[in-house]
Amino acid sequence: MDPGDLILFERSLQHAVGVHDGQALDAALLELGWHDALGHDTQTAIATLFSLQGSEHTTSASLDHVLTLRLGLERALPSGVVLPALGQVDPPGEYEGDHLVVRGLGSAALEDHEETIVVARDGHATVVVDVPTAALTVRRIHGMDAELELVEVTATLDVMEARQKLSPSAWPSSVALCQLAVGHELVGAARKMLELARRHALERAQFGQFIGQFQAVRHRLAEALVAIEAADAMLGAAWEDESPTAAAVAKALAGRAARTAARHCQQVLAGIGFTSEHELHRYIRSVLVLNELFGGSRTLTTALGVELLTTQQLPALVPL
Amino acid sequence: MEIAEFRLALDSWLDENESLLIDERRAAATLDEQMAHLAKVKRMAYEAGFMRWGWPERVGGFGGSTMLRAYLGEALTSRDMVEPGIYSMTEVLAPTMIDYATPELAAAMVPRLLRGDETWCQGFSEPGTGSNLASLSCRATRTTGGWSVTGQKVWTSLAQFADRCVLLTRTGTPDSAHKGITALFVDMDSPGITVRPIETMHGAAEFSEVFFDDVVVPVDRTLGEEGQGWAVAMDLLPYERSTALWHRAAFLGRRLQLLLRAAPSGALDPGAVGEVAQLLYALRARSRTTQRRLAGGERLGPETSIDKVLVATAEQAVFDLVADGLSTDVLIKDDPTSERWRREFLYSRAATIYGGTAEIQRNIIARRLLDLGADR
Repeated sequence: MDPGDLILFERSLQHAVGVHDGQALDAALLELGWHDALGHDTQTAIATLFSLQGSEHTTSASLDHVLTLRLGLERALPSGVVLPALGQVDPPGEYEGDHLVVRGLGSAALEDHEETIVVARDGHATVVVDVPTAALTVRRIHGMDAELELVEVTATLDVMEARQKLSPSAWPSSVALCQLAVGHELVGAARKMLELARRHALERAQFGQFIGQFQAVRHRLAEALVAIEAADAMLGAAWEDESPTAAAVAKALAGRAARTAARHCQQVLAGIGFTSEHELHRYIRSVLVLNELFGGSRTLTTALGVELLTTQQLPALVPL
Repeated sequence: MEIAEFRLALDSWLDENESLLIDERRAAATLDEQMAHLAKVKRMAYEAGFMRWGWPERVGGFGGSTMLRAYLGEALTSRDMVEPGIYSMTEVLAPTMIDYATPELAAAMVPRLLRGDETWCQGFSEPGTGSNLASLSCRATRTTGGWSVTGQKVWTSLAQFADRCVLLTRTGTPDSAHKGITALFVDMDSPGITVRPIETMHGAAEFSEVFFDDVVVPVDRTLGEEGQGWAVAMDLLPYERSTALWHRAAFLGRRLQLLLRAAPSGALDPGAVGEVAQLLYALRARSRTTQRRLAGGERLGPETSIDKVLVATAEQAVFDLVADGLSTDVLIKDDPTSERWRREFLYSRAATIYGGTAEIQRNIIARRLLDLGADR
């Protein structure tokens, strides 16, 4: 996009995300051409939308489109899409003997579609199966953050014929793209928490001064900003690098940064930040859940460490 | 010169000259030996042209992007040809000379630094002036013969080797704070200068106390205008937090890579290894963004404090991991390689102290980036 188009695109997304949520947001995104943008300017489309979703605490079914973008599907959406189970990066489906076992998450919009795409492991192969949505057990998740409007999807089905076999790199690169999307959402939420805490520190006075003048408070907020900027820089680097390793590093850093920000910002907001009257808790809830989508930071970090110890090789990421 | 072309030419030159550019005794080298080797590497790289790319033509450079300098330092560091701390002094001091010295002075002096003919130091901290730099009191008075400087500096890195010093002096009233500071470029062989090296806990006299007793400095050695010293310091510090950091990140990457090979099986916790690697990648990502801004002609400022917090955190994390994974080497073995791990571990303890403490960086972030107002 040229700079003029980009500003226009960002403004219309900002408006859409600010006004709409859930399925209304899906409709608004379709109207303003986000899905087209996803195809031809993937980074801008994902980074802009998901940062906004994070900072506005809104949700949409856009992650479905991100997940399927690089699968190389012969027939595109609309269908429902099953996302990996909480904390997982593996496909949500697995062929076990005579059965196709499905265990994953999805967006609330999944139930509106007659068919749902399930990516499944079949031995060493990864395949795509079209499953009638009615055959899946779909449970609306309240959990830590009901506002994310996620559903839990489970099923044990008789073996169904796969519609398509995926190339070996299709699933890892789709996961990487989703990790970047959720990474941006986490950073967006973390920046919002920092802004809420910063505003509080400039308004709340104790001992005759604003609490933002106390070094203990200032350093907590500085710590949050450092973590956020580090994660954001790594997200940018991962877009350039395009490797699954870089995306996983960025996602892990974003998840950790968001939890660091949550911890410091809640402490600065103190009592009011512990209430449901203040909006901070909504962000704390969402980053806890988002951190576990497409691999939690602890899991991703340990996996990287195991890889490094096994290969004894530090991958040369982020070249000049 | 494009970076890809530069990289190709440099890498093949480094391959060809590896035996000359690597100091065989490097694990056991004293600071004096490291300094001598550094001068040799700089001279070779200058004569081959690589050290001149990325510097303006008016100071003996060939022009081109500052990214070329970043890559040269990265290549020399990651091939273990130079120690990053002493190599990067050029990146800290030369840009500010170019920004603030008279064109004649910069043209005469900067090539000597690039070529390895000279070592320069940075006279900022004083016994009573650590984090609160604006409170410095080393006095410069105008006399008929120029400036007369009297006072003391401390923690002055490489002062005992230095030919010149970028010196901050008090020229205003004692309480004039940042308004009454003037920067001077001082010859270290001037009468009245005494240097006393201070031995550090990592076993090298890396920095010194420097005493000035009626030291005469010509007026044309003033960097910027009288009273503009704070601006000079604020110009210099972001350089200390940009290209030099990129080189340091390369060094940390090399040491982490060596640790992965050297640590006994089972000695390292995978989660800890993964986290340290992520910190290093994040540092590189952040520092690369800064490199690109610098190359694009942007003026760097307080946002480089984030880079500085990241490098200090990463450095201590890498060497905490070293202490875990190579505890025998770090704690009880006495061969040169083990001594080097031990020395580097100990030096990493200073990463949150030198060049502005971790606390000062966070104060800068709070005031300048988060706009939380003054501290008090």
